[in-house]
Amino acid sequence: MAVAIKQPGLARGALGFIVGSAFGFGLVVALRAISGLEIFQTEQTGYPHLVVPAITGPLGFLVGLGAFDYWFRWAAGRPTIPEDHSQHGAKSWRDYFKFNTDHKVIGIQYIVTTFFFFLVGGLIAMLIRAELAQPGTQIVDPGVYNGLFSTHAAIMIFVFVIPVFAGIANYVLPLMIGAPDMAFPRLNALSFWMLPIAGILFLSSFLVPGGAFDAGWTGYAPLSTGAPLGQSFFNLGVQFAGASSVATALNFLVTIVTMRAPGMTFWRMPLLVWANLSTSLLVVAATPFIAGVQFMVLFDRVLHTNFFQAAFGGDVLSYQHIFWFYSHPAVYIMMLPGFGIISEVISTHARKPIFGYRLMALALIGIVVLSYTVWAHHMFVSGMFAWLRVPMMITTLLIAVPTGIKIFSWLATLFNSVLHLRSTAMLFALGFVTTFTIGGISGVMLGMVPIDIHVSDTYFIVAHIHFVLFGGSVFTIFAGIYHWFPKMTGRMYDEKLGRVHFYLTLVGMLGTFIPMHWVGMEGMPRRVADYAAQFGDWNLMISISSFLLGIAQLVFLYNMIVSWKWGPRATANPWRAKTIEWQVSSPPPIFNFDEIPRVVGGPYEFGVPGARHAIMGGEEAEVRKPEPAVVGAAGGGGGGSPGERGGP
Amino acid sequence: MESASVAVGQAEPHEHHGPPEAHQSSRIDRQTLGILLFIVTEAMLFGAFFASYFFLRVVSNEGPWPPEGFELPVAVAGVNTAILISSSFTVHWALEATRKGNRRGMQMGLMTTWLLGSTFLFIQINEYIHIGFSGRDGAFGSIFYGLTGLHGAHVLVGLLLLSFANIRAWRGHFGPKAKDHLGVEVPGIYWHFVDVMWIIVFTVVYIL
Amino acid sequence: MLALTVVGSVVLVQFDWFGDAASEEAPPIDTLFDVMVVLSTFVFSIVMVMFGYAIWKFRARPGDESDGAPIHGNTKLEIAWTVIPTIIVLFGAGYSWIVLDDIEARADDAMPLKVTAQQFKWTFEYPEADGLRSDELHVPVDRQLDVQLEALDVVHSFWVPEWRIKRDLVPAGEGGDEIDDEFVVTPNEEGTFSLVCTELCGLGHTTMRATVVVESQEEFDQWLDDQAQAEAGAGGGSSAAGGT
Ligand code: HEA
Ligand code: HEA
Ligand code: CUA
Ligand SMILES: [Cu+2]
Repeated sequence: MAVAIKQPGLARGALGFIVGSAFGFGLVVALRAISGLEIFQTEQTGYPHLVVPAITGPLGFLVGLGAFDYWFRWAAGRPTIPEDHSQHGAKSWRDYFKFNTDHKVIGIQYIVTTFFFFLVGGLIAMLIRAELAQPGTQIVDPGVYNGLFSTHAAIMIFVFVIPVFAGIANYVLPLMIGAPDMAFPRLNALSFWMLPIAGILFLSSFLVPGGAFDAGWTGYAPLSTGAPLGQSFFNLGVQFAGASSVATALNFLVTIVTMRAPGMTFWRMPLLVWANLSTSLLVVAATPFIAGVQFMVLFDRVLHTNFFQAAFGGDVLSYQHIFWFYSHPAVYIMMLPGFGIISEVISTHARKPIFGYRLMALALIGIVVLSYTVWAHHMFVSGMFAWLRVPMMITTLLIAVPTGIKIFSWLATLFNSVLHLRSTAMLFALGFVTTFTIGGISGVMLGMVPIDIHVSDTYFIVAHIHFVLFGGSVFTIFAGIYHWFPKMTGRMYDEKLGRVHFYLTLVGMLGTFIPMHWVGMEGMPRRVADYAAQFGDWNLMISISSFLLGIAQLVFLYNMIVSWKWGPRATANPWRAKTIEWQVSSPPPIFNFDEIPRVVGGPYEFGVPGARHAIMGGEEAEVRKPEPAVVGAAGGGGGGSPGERGGP
Repeated sequence: MESASVAVGQAEPHEHHGPPEAHQSSRIDRQTLGILLFIVTEAMLFGAFFASYFFLRVVSNEGPWPPEGFELPVAVAGVNTAILISSSFTVHWALEATRKGNRRGMQMGLMTTWLLGSTFLFIQINEYIHIGFSGRDGAFGSIFYGLTGLHGAHVLVGLLLLSFANIRAWRGHFGPKAKDHLGVEVPGIYWHFVDVMWIIVFTVVYIL
Repeated sequence: MLALTVVGSVVLVQFDWFGDAASEEAPPIDTLFDVMVVLSTFVFSIVMVMFGYAIWKFRARPGDESDGAPIHGNTKLEIAWTVIPTIIVLFGAGYSWIVLDDIEARADDAMPLKVTAQQFKWTFEYPEADGLRSDELHVPVDRQLDVQLEALDVVHSFWVPEWRIKRDLVPAGEGGDEIDDEFVVTPNEEGTFSLVCTELCGLGHTTMRATVVVESQEEFDQWLDDQAQAEAGAGGGSSAAGGT
């Protein structure tokens, strides 16, 4: 035990947490005693003696974990320990619970952690649907219900969708651009470890007096400034998740700009890299806004400032403006990496170059620029400046254009292709094109002020959210996980179970979210635990479909766990893809490459005779060998896909 | 002379098998690009508070600004501004000295900068104590403390970074080669940002 | 493909999307929506038909290990699918703008109405009837209402689904001018409706409803008289509003 405490690791982390919390607690008590204040302020929202430890405790945990060991030495001017790569690679599952600086390990840590939170968020959604299956309140009372959808959304957005993309990109992006690791490996590890902290803060709000935060994921002031203690946990969780996401974005940007392999010009980067470049630009410039506004809410709550207290000169609507200035770009933060994944999956499994590659990249940049100009479309009925509505409507609708370019280019890519329809990754990519188009078109309708005046804050919005987030983001996540599963684990998953997962998910998702459009337009508001009896039948159907959707995810879980452990070994390049990550072994060697590869052409040169994307280090001849080998051994992706024969 | 540069991302050269050296695909250096991007996020964080300031002052405030009963010590803050601006020059001086291999100059430059920064912070805290209103006094109080406090926190971070640079300068680190003085250059860039930000905060809050 | 669009649109327009309409603002909004449904169906059908065709035509036969045709792009096509959606959405924006102006046009004889929301209760005040207050909303049919909003604690939202109009009520300080707290609506169908709070406002948000009665001018005047009498009988004050 004593040894464990001296070594960086979870045990020392726990100690750090205790010390940090005690320090925060003592600080508050001491300061309040000195300034002659009542020591334990437990007014409805205050509780500084709990809020401050909720900041210092996690920081103590990070120190204990070893996140700062290197930097402490460096700051003190002591010789830094030369990198011995002890923090590289993972030899056993235990290494995943350490402060590890290997981008591949961090990628796995990210993905597993975020999927854990997906299940938690999904389980909460099941509770929501159980309550809404019938009119009246059966399972939870309205107060608890408010906490349920707030935590559901906060978990799904801040600790599932946004970071899972960071996780996937963490794994594949350095490989794709021929870099040995990310630019700042320690910062990368730190980013990951802030994530479980955020998730645990969200969840632990269920345990504090007053219950979980219940002002919605949007946390509008002044409802949030007057809400019970749990709301502070939301404010803090967002700060940790936000810091994590900013640090990762910064890391991606520096990696992409400074560490591309020789020959990889911007116009030779795979679209996933472009997508993460644009996403990171959004994160770096937009995320500080949510950090700022959640700080202000926290100050109003704990220090009793008046940023949003109208009676004292505060401005209520300024919360919404600042919040949406982040949160609209955030919806593209949750979508652009998915666009990147879809481009990789479609070109590989359709065996064709992406149609209009450059325009695809430019469309991403177009979306980035436009998305800073549309935030007020969430405020058409909020009573903000009336004159702002029409300009925001126009920019909002224009976003359909670059998005449409992407959809049409993917479709064009499918023409004259050799479409491997039986691979699960491709199924999810195709499913995505359908469901996202529906969600996007309902978004365009919302962008029209007169329509939004009617449907804002109804189930029509809930339908839009889930078509773009579930049918959009989550479908792309599944596509990405299936696509890179062999690369990450070195094993094949079971395609048959994958297909079952896909079709159940598609049916469940359509059954759950299509009827929401109708109940919304006919008058069912969102965020209510009870509703008029006339909506009863539809809601029952929605709930039943959503349980189907839940069960479908169990199939996925089973497939992943079993295949990871017992699946048949994967070859280096089971999909016969061109990008660099497939040219190394599965899983890749500990340092990615012996020698940095040389890029000599575009990333998707399918069907172009003699074209190459990259020449790997060493002999040229060695690169050619794996291809026929793969075809012979795994039967490629044609018809019967490779994984099919294996399975558990 | 030992040359422990800002080794945030860079493995030290060594004997045993390790990752291949990454290809340097841009002329800009990793740490510099990193700190510049970090400054972008920081500027946006200030942007959030400035947005709040704008709403409180222009949109929902009717009367004079600052409202009746609030008085800002512009003269003291002006002197303080001059102190902070001069520290930008001293940090530049330190960097120039490092580039020229002038060890003494570097140490003095970093030390002066640190002292000037601390003086600024000290005067600022003193101003808080004597200013006569708190963050709970109306929206003006909130946003005044919000903006100046946010900036103060950045000064504190900047001072922390400068402390590291100071310690290492006295321990004999850093050298004239570009790779060897990143540890002075990077905190320096951050410090310039803190100064520029203060000029904006000062102009907006105290003068306009 | 065209046929599919036509069939799709006809089916979707027949569908009674919105439920009942009971205000003069409703028809233009419903029409706008129907037009957009047709356009969206058009766009969606194009996507789906292309999609279905590609899947059916180009799916790989088992064992086919070949690559697709190395087509990298086609500038004409790319311009087409940039320009056509731009035209569609700009058309939608222009049309929406016209509808917006239409539904926000003010009439001269509008009846002022003051609506106050607090956790979790609605209060309606009739300036034309000496500030009479009620917690049930009665309004005359076919007369524009000039609604003035006020929130006492947190943000709430005023919505009568059949009227199609919704607006948040935002707490404001003394200055108060910056919030757009006025809108107009003209109920044109008699009946009893439900006013729903559509902005999350706390524990009682789910049940924050009020009854809305749209009645003829005579019935409305009668109701005002009754209310005034009841108020006087109960000793005046704000008892009719139930606000204590
Ligand atoms: C991944 C997340 C994501 C994405 C990608 C989008 C995409 C879009 N969203 Fe959505 N949105 C959300 C997540 C997302 N949204 C969430 C979470 C909320 C609710 C927040 C809350 O209140 O809790 C919300 C709410 C929301 C509102 C506010 C509603 C309200 O509260 O009153 C509006 C209004 O304009 C809107 C519009 C749009 C538009 C125009 C797009 C466009 O980007 C869509 C563009 C895509 C297409 C149009 C489809 C493909 C294009 C073609 C095939 C070309 C041809 C098309 C045409 C010519 C129409 N969204
Ligand atoms: C990425 C984001 C994301 C995702 C993936 C989801 C997924 C789901 N959401 Fe969520 N949702 C939001 C983001 C998301 N949601 C947001 C932003 C809001 C707005 C909140 C607000 O108003 O503030 C919202 C609100 C929201 C509401 C409206 C609440 C209200 O306004 O009153 C509902 C209601 O049905 C709902 C349902 C669902 C369902 C059924 C799923 C399903 O897809 C979930 C499927 C997954 C699982 C089920 C998990 C896996 C399975 C298991 C763990 C096994 C257990 C299974 C069984 C018991 C059957 N969501
Ligand atoms: Cu009032 Cu919801
Ligand atoms: Cu938006």
